Amino acid sequence: MIAVLSQMAVVLFLAPLITGFSRTFKARLQTRRGPGILQPYRDIFKLLRKGMVIPETASWIFSATPYVLFVSTLLAGLLIPTISAKAPLSIFGGVLAVVYLLALGRFFLALGGLDTGSSFGGLGSSREMTISAIAEPALMLAIFTVAIGAGSTNLSIMAEAGLGQSWRFLAPQQMLAFAALFIVLMAETGRIPVDNPATHLELTMIHEAMILEYSGPYLALIEWSAAMKQLVLMTLLVNVFFPFGLSSGWVAQSVLLSLGVFVAKLLGLAIVVSLVETANAKMRLFRVPELLAVAFVLSAMALISTFLF
Amino acid sequence: MNFWQDPQFGDRMITMMAALVLVLQIMMVAQRGLVTNIRAFGVQSFLLACIGVTIAYFNHAPHIYAAAALTLVFKAILLPLILERLVAKIEIRQEIEPFINIPISVLVSGLLTLLAYVVAESFHRPDEARGAASLGHNTLAVAIALFLIGFFMMINRRKALTQVLGLLCLENGILLAAISLTYGMPLIVEIGIFFDVLVAALLLAILIFRIRETFDSMDVSRLSRLKG
Repeated sequence: MIAVLSQMAVVLFLAPLITGFSRTFKARLQTRRGPGILQPYRDIFKLLRKGMVIPETASWIFSATPYVLFVSTLLAGLLIPTISAKAPLSIFGGVLAVVYLLALGRFFLALGGLDTGSSFGGLGSSREMTISAIAEPALMLAIFTVAIGAGSTNLSIMAEAGLGQSWRFLAPQQMLAFAALFIVLMAETGRIPVDNPATHLELTMIHEAMILEYSGPYLALIEWSAAMKQLVLMTLLVNVFFPFGLSSGWVAQSVLLSLGVFVAKLLGLAIVVSLVETANAKMRLFRVPELLAVAFVLSAMALISTFLF
Repeated sequence: MNFWQDPQFGDRMITMMAALVLVLQIMMVAQRGLVTNIRAFGVQSFLLACIGVTIAYFNHAPHIYAAAALTLVFKAILLPLILERLVAKIEIRQEIEPFINIPISVLVSGLLTLLAYVVAESFHRPDEARGAASLGHNTLAVAIALFLIGFFMMINRRKALTQVLGLLCLENGILLAAISLTYGMPLIVEIGIFFDVLVAALLLAILIFRIRETFDSMDVSRLSRLKG
């Protein structure tokens, strides 16, 4: 019970911090001052107290979407090992459950975008689905590569297997899978070569187009879920590939230590993501499948080399 | 055991660098920028030189150092410089236009890699191998993949200059196969190959320049048409 609650707290309250940190760091790289690191918390708090405008054409799906998205993302967050190798709900499912919980949230978000009947919502939904249809196989293959090495698709067992071999991430299949997952991370969290979360330009926006009609507490829930989804995917990268410093049980002392290591690893990954974002230009939408095809081939190569290297 | 003399460590480093070489090759297929492609080739050659040094160190084969040094000087530094100057000189559009679109090209390269692994598998003899021979098996697969993808790049691209890049990648594959399988050919053969490649690249550079002067384009499919 304590495990569930503390991991829930970590997923809920660390996620906006990572988002805020990467925004501030990116601003500094572009020699802007940028908002403070705590800005996402302030945004969420402010939005939760505001009133809402619900379009007249919207059905129940429009109101259900924020809740479904929030709960499914939070559940996915409880299935992955964050501060302890034993994820609190890991008996309920492994990595497939995580991937499909995220897919459930995305499905409802796309429906919510379509539901109001505005042309932007439909545009955003169709783009989001196009991208995720190619990103998802790459994600699955990359994760399977690691799962074969560990002999299980259960993320806790995968993290524990990684704890045993310290130089494992130098193996070629691990590196290839990591590279593929990194591209998937950029695509799924709407980072620059794929999507630019900072603009509302109709030619380029993907995620923002879907949630254009949302306001107030619903928007807060969606923004929060987006931050949590980013945290879940980043955790997948850092804890499955570099599990060192992860506590193997739920003893208070080692969990606190592993929380520190976890935050440090996440911030490190956020710095790398921001650097990649700053160094690249936004891709044309029709070029995005090329990037994702690279991710897919990388993870397919990782899977091949698992059997042959 | 001392870290630097553990052949297991060397094995791992080589496998890792070979995987990076393969990733760079896929990147070259996926990239459109011509200059980026040339630089990726430079980095790939540099990694190849590193693999050579590692093999020379762990197998105590001093003549591979010379081969690695030659790779570094000619292919990682000199050839990219020549090609980049050529790109600047003939002022072409800096974008590669493959015949097959890029996602499918990337998938084809993935399939070619798979084929390379299947082929390399038949050379794998774990029972009669010494400690270092498993290293040959891993890198051989990458070498064959480089060879096949280089070939594919030559077929798939329109412009003469990009076809030269494909040829150079193919040659990188041959070099990798040579140093990983036989622990280096005799030095005189290596030097011969290097000068061969260098002269070939220079000649091709001049040829590309002439093609471009005569036809106002580097598109080789125009060469089959009569002029005048």
